[in-house]
Formats: sequence, structure tokens, C-alpha cells
Amino acid sequence: MRRSRTECFRRKFRSGPSTAIGITLLTLLAVMAVLAPLASPQPVLPLSPLDVDLQAANIPIGGAGHLLGTDYLGRDIVMLALWGARVSLAVGILTAGLAVTFGAVWGTLSAFAGGAVDAVMMRLVDGLLAVPSLILVLTLQSFVSSPQLSHMLPPVVLNALRVTAYSQGLLPLLAIVVVISATAWLEAARIAHAQVLAIKSQEYILAAQALGTGTIRMMTCHLLPNAAAPLIVEAGLLVSDAVLMESGLSFLGLGLGPSMPSWGGMLASAQVSLIGGNWWAALTPGVLISTLVLSINLIGEGLIPAVDH
Amino acid sequence: MLADGNLGLDFTMLAIVLKRSLSAVPLLFFVSILAFLLMKAIPGDPVDVLLGSSEKDLSSQQVQLLRQQMGLDQPLPKQYLTWVSGWWGAGELGRSYRDGRPVLEVINERLGNTFLLVFVSLLFSFGVGISVGLALAFAASTRWRALSHLLLPVVLFFYCAPSFWLAFLAISAVQAWLPGWPILGMHDPGRSTTLFSLMQHVVLPALLLSSRKSAKVALFVRAMVLEQAGRDYVLVARSKGLSQPAVLFRHVLRNSLIPVIALLGLALPALFGGAVLIETVFGISGLGRLAVEATFGRNYPVMMGLIVIYGSVVIVSNLIADILYCLVDPRVKEEMESGGLSQSIVRVGAA
Repeated sequence: MRRSRTECFRRKFRSGPSTAIGITLLTLLAVMAVLAPLASPQPVLPLSPLDVDLQAANIPIGGAGHLLGTDYLGRDIVMLALWGARVSLAVGILTAGLAVTFGAVWGTLSAFAGGAVDAVMMRLVDGLLAVPSLILVLTLQSFVSSPQLSHMLPPVVLNALRVTAYSQGLLPLLAIVVVISATAWLEAARIAHAQVLAIKSQEYILAAQALGTGTIRMMTCHLLPNAAAPLIVEAGLLVSDAVLMESGLSFLGLGLGPSMPSWGGMLASAQVSLIGGNWWAALTPGVLISTLVLSINLIGEGLIPAVDH
Repeated sequence: MLADGNLGLDFTMLAIVLKRSLSAVPLLFFVSILAFLLMKAIPGDPVDVLLGSSEKDLSSQQVQLLRQQMGLDQPLPKQYLTWVSGWWGAGELGRSYRDGRPVLEVINERLGNTFLLVFVSLLFSFGVGISVGLALAFAASTRWRALSHLLLPVVLFFYCAPSFWLAFLAISAVQAWLPGWPILGMHDPGRSTTLFSLMQHVVLPALLLSSRKSAKVALFVRAMVLEQAGRDYVLVARSKGLSQPAVLFRHVLRNSLIPVIALLGLALPALFGGAVLIETVFGISGLGRLAVEATFGRNYPVMMGLIVIYGSVVIVSNLIADILYCLVDPRVKEEMESGGLSQSIVRVGAA
């Protein structure tokens, strides 16, 4: 049974050249992210102003050993893009994982509870969906970036995130992931809710109920696995949404900051030199973000018929 | 007989409008509660934020007085009622930390620019999106198949590219090729604003704001038309001797454009969110810029006011889209009477 299902999935999924293009592009981007340390052991040039080499700034594409040129601080765009791939993909994948997990649990619990609890839980989702997600993200970001927050966290967490008196460590990364997930889980909750409602009245669930299966076991063993397919597609799309959202936040100056180069951060710093005629610093990260979004959407397009029974 | 039938129709229509409007009320209530609770969940006392370092110069008695004036000593439900009733009563919705002015007044100043921008880009999204989508589908089903293959990647590109990045490129291009074209802001400094100059200012940001949405609408319309074109009724119409264009324009077009209305309601949150970035690129002083300024200044009352305003606009426009949808498509009305509409709209919108 199981084998024939995966077989069937594979046959449907493989059909279409767009899926193949999507997988190829995504693999390329992933390889970029993995191999970044081989190209240069350090993410970027040291941040001290004394180390900025003005001779190397704004070198155009193909000039003096810089394949894609340099930005206004003289940083090589290829290196930035390689290291940026790590950060951008990390933000995308972590956010999608967190958001879909939370949304699935929320939607399943809500559908499972039914009645007034269900109504309240899903109205909350509807209400949040009515507010533009970027506005919610801005609001949460202003909470999370407040200096009180890092004092409130226990030392164990701070150590794990490598926060010291001189460095924020991984705290900004975690903050961005949490903040973007906090608005991205809504659609996943709705999908899980609709799926579970459809599954709930089926006979095997009634049988499990009759056998006295507990709520948690019911959710993890019966409801979630059977509602998983559309959620997996949603998770993929959320990766691209999160990368777009991170780039927007970086552009507004609320992103990860210069110590963690992401594609969004590259775009933000490229805007500074755009007026001076340096368009190539903006070209590469934009193309990379668009390619990531494109590849995920192409794969998703192939995935939707494959998971639709 | 006919009049009777019409009357019956109007009553069900009215009932649906009423029912939908009523269901929007708790949603508005939820959004306002949410905004209020967020404001209360902020680490730190509003008085501290308001006074900053000057708090040390005040005696604890003066601080206490200020807390009383701001109503912070009241129980939470009472605080909520005072805050939310400021909307229609005193016209306040709290006061800005920055200059102490009523939040609603601060928002009102910026409202016009954003609404103009979002309205024009809504027109672009659906005008450009529907035309491109139809062109793609028609090209695919006629001789110009190659053209459709050529155009599809372009549309996909616009769907995938971040709008503010496209804005960078567009600004560079306009600077190079149209040196006199106004780019920044909504008004020419030192000159009175005419309708023409306003349109000149709004056209570029609105186009870029709508880029992603137009592409999405185009892809959606294309898929819809191609799906409809394979239906049996098309074959019947063709076999009865109707020409291909006649079938496409008279029958397929109508049936495939109806679900686009569902995208209309979903478009607004995305456009308002995107406007934050586009307003920043083009230096337009609108709600989006206000939101960014409020974020940097930790001006929480303004943030919460914005959430309530955005939420109400989106909820009301979703309501209008729903009603429009069931005016156009009788099948939806039946579904709505049985209570399953919002689900079906979401499904169509997500497709």
C-alpha cells in the first residue's frame, strides 16, 4: 500500500519540465550556501572603517579579479552572495518550519475542539489575516528589538545564542525568524483546519475515538499525517515568502544588520550606491532572490497535483 | 410571476448582505482587541517610553499624576473601552508618543497618499493582470503559441522579483532615459499640485507596487481561461458552428473572470503591506512611512492605530468583494446561504 502510494506520487511529481527546472535551480542555490566557506573562510571584510579599501569600492562587473564587481565598501559581490545564501536560506527554512508547525497544531486543535473554542481560535486567525503582514512584522520587530528583551532572556539561552557584551550573536537571526513566523503561520492554520474538518468525520477517526485514543495521540498519529500533504506545499511557499519578507525588512533597516550578510541586506546596502551609478551591486542579490522564489514556485506547481489525491 | 421571482431574489440577497456584515463586526472587534493587547504586552511602562531620560527630573508624585492622566491606573477593560471609543467619540484612538497629537489625526494626514497609491495600483493589478492573462491564454489557444511561451517567463519574473528591487532598477532606467520625470514624493516642491502632476507622480510607484499582484492575476486568469476552454460547453458551442474567438469572448471569458473577484479582496492586505516598501523607495509620506517611523521611534499608540485602520479597511473591502462575488455568480449565493462561502473563496484565491 505504502509503496504504491510513493510510486504514484513520484510519477505525478516528475511530470513536467518546470519541476525539473525548479529542482535544478534550488539545488544550485543550496550548493552555493553549503560551499560558501570553501570560497572564503570569513563572511565579509572586517567591519572597522579603517579596513575599508576605497580603491576596491564600486569595481564594475568583470573588473580586477572581481567576477561580479564590488559594492560601495569594496566587498566582493560573489563572496557576499555566497555567504548571503546561507543566511537567507536559513531564515527561509527555519521560518517555514516554525510557522507550519505552529499553524498545523493551531488549526488541528481548533478543528478538533469544535464549537465556541473553534470559532474563537479561527476568528483570531481571520482577524490577524486582515492586517497586512508587513505591518504586524514591523510591530513585533519593534518589540523584539527593544533592549529590555535581551535582559529578560535567561543566561542559558543567551549563551546558546552566543550573545556577549560585545556581540548580539545569533539573537537577531532568532528574532527575525520568530517575528516572521508569527505572521506566517496563519495560512497554514487555515489549511490544517480545513483538512482536519474534512478528515474528522471519516470512519477510521471514529473507530480510533471509539477505541479511546487520546487527543495528542489522535493528532500526531491520525489527523496530522493525513492532513500533511497540502501543509508541505505551504511550507515550501513559506520559505520564499520568508526570504522576501526578510529582504523587505533589511531594506527598511530592520533586518539582520551588517554582521550577517543576507541577500536582503545586500539589496539594502546597494541602494546607497545606486545613485552613484553602481547598479551591479543591486543586480546580483535581486536576481538570486527572484531565482529562489521562482524555483520554489515551480516545484510547488509540480507538487500540488502530486499531493492532491 | 417575474416580479415575484425578482422580489424573492432581492430578499435572499439582502439576507446575505446582512449576515455577512454582521459577521464582519466580531472580526473588527477581534482586530481592535488584538491591537490593544499587543500594546499592553510591550515590555516597559508607557510613561517610561514617553518621558525617556527626563523621568529622573520628575518626582514620583508627578509620574503618578501622569499615569492618572493617561488612564493607566484604570482596570484593563475600562482602558480598552476608553481607547476604542476614542475612534468615534473624541476622534483620538490614543495619542502619539512623539508629539502628543491624537493618533487618528496623525493617520488622517497620511491617509490620502497611501489610498491614492493603493487604489491606482489596484486598478493596474487587475487592468494589466487581466489583459496579460487573457493575452497569454488566447495566444496559447490560437496560432501564436510561441508568443505565449515567450511571455510566460516574463510574467513569472515579475511574480518572483521583490517589488522594491524592481523599483531600484526602474528608477535607474527612468533617470537615464526620462530625465525630467518626477520620481520622489507626491508633489513638485514649490509648485501647486494639479491632477496631471499628481498622476505623473503616482504612476511609477503604483506600477511597481502592482507588479507582483498583476503577475499573479495574469497567471490566475490564464489558468482559469485554459481550464474553461477544455470544458464540454466550449466543444458544444464550437460544434454548433460558433467561431473560436466568439466562444472565447462570449462564454469562456465570462466564466473565467468571475473567480478573479475573489482575488480582489485578498489583494488589499498585500498591496498595503507592499506600499510600506514602495513608499520608502519613492519617499512618499503615507501610512507605510508612518508605520516605519513609528517602528523606529517605538511609537506604539500609532502602530496600534495603524493596525486598527488597516484591519477595518481590509475587512470592509473583503465584505464588498464577497457581496460583489455573489451578485455576479448565483452559484456562490447558494453556497453562501448554506454558510460555506469564506472557505470556498479562500480555496479559489489560493488556487
